[in-house]
Amino acid sequence: LCCFLAGSAWVRGLLGWARPQRWLASSSLFPLSCIHTSTSLENIGKWEKKNRIVYPPQLPGEPRRPAEIYHCRREIKYSKDKMWYLAKLIKGMSIDQALAQLEFNDKKGAKVIKEVLLEAQEIAVRNHNVEFKSNLHIAESMTGRGRYVKRIRYHGKGMFGIMKIVRCHYFVKLVEGPPPPPEPPRTGFDQAKEYVQQLRSRTLVNTL
Amino acid sequence: ALVVVFSPLPRLRGLLQRCWGRLERGFLPGFSGGQSPPWGPALALQAPAYLPQPVDDAGESNEAPSLLDSILWMAAPKKRRTIEVNRCRRRNPSKLIKVKRNIDVCPECGNLKQKHVLCGYCYAKVKAETRLIRMEINKKEGGPFNAPTVETVILYDGEKPTEKDEGKRIIERARKRPSWFVQN
Repeated sequence: LCCFLAGSAWVRGLLGWARPQRWLASSSLFPLSCIHTSTSLENIGKWEKKNRIVYPPQLPGEPRRPAEIYHCRREIKYSKDKMWYLAKLIKGMSIDQALAQLEFNDKKGAKVIKEVLLEAQEIAVRNHNVEFKSNLHIAESMTGRGRYVKRIRYHGKGMFGIMKIVRCHYFVKLVEGPPPPPEPPRTGFDQAKEYVQQLRSRTLVNTL
Repeated sequence: ALVVVFSPLPRLRGLLQRCWGRLERGFLPGFSGGQSPPWGPALALQAPAYLPQPVDDAGESNEAPSLLDSILWMAAPKKRRTIEVNRCRRRNPSKLIKVKRNIDVCPECGNLKQKHVLCGYCYAKVKAETRLIRMEINKKEGGPFNAPTVETVILYDGEKPTEKDEGKRIIERARKRPSWFVQN
């Protein structure tokens, strides 16, 4: 590319007017450009920072710590309440089962979440030393409110309403290993046992 | 509204003709004698058959419920629904998405498919090939309404028409025969 031939002044002039938000994630292409990359202009979310924690090496006797991968997508043009149903669907499933369920779901958010899961799987295998891409399960999946914009909606007879253009974020945490077994529902017997235990653990108060 | 007057009975017709005649000559049917009533320019009003009673309250009370009282009669929420109540309604198990248990693996391509539905990948593959075949047919026919009355046979690279394909129309496709398209 001709960019490499020109000096830094020409490059800065080229980039001076155009500052797309997520264009160059790292400054590897232009070593003379500023060290702060384009992502410093907007906040790096807390969820993205969770991938950066580095644990000290494990001792030989400790059980293996399963890999955790945090991934998210911001400002999806969908409602957070509608997205919540999909997030609730795939909570606690293995990644293959989640992808299967989302593939045959007709909602708009299903396509988006499927892309996010595939991206996260790819990141897990590439960066986080996950051996088998099927050996992941979804530990957490949540939705958040994005930035809302107000617009005018025109009605008849000169009336108008103010509508909100609604956006949401989607967060997912993948953990290596098979999905945990679902906890059995509380039966009457369990409740009775707990009640008896509570009665037995009573002590005398304010006495010797 | 138009009022259609049917042909009256002969007696009624005679009566109407006489009345009409009197009116034309300037007489009112009610008047006896040859006096003409004082016909002057008069204002014609569309008044009801009976004189309106000076009972304005009755008239008002008939109109007002449609405008003002209807607002009082309409259903409206009494209290704000709390977020707990809203959550109970929105997160009720009937409103959650059900987990589908009819998903299998397609034996041909290995993609996922629903049990009662054709595999999407295989269907798209067949659709693309059919589109190319149809383009070949269009090139051969040239225009609309040129479909021949004989059957069509599609031959791929290195295939010859057999004795069974004697009188049929042959469409050539310049590629290897796909594994899923079985030759007769």
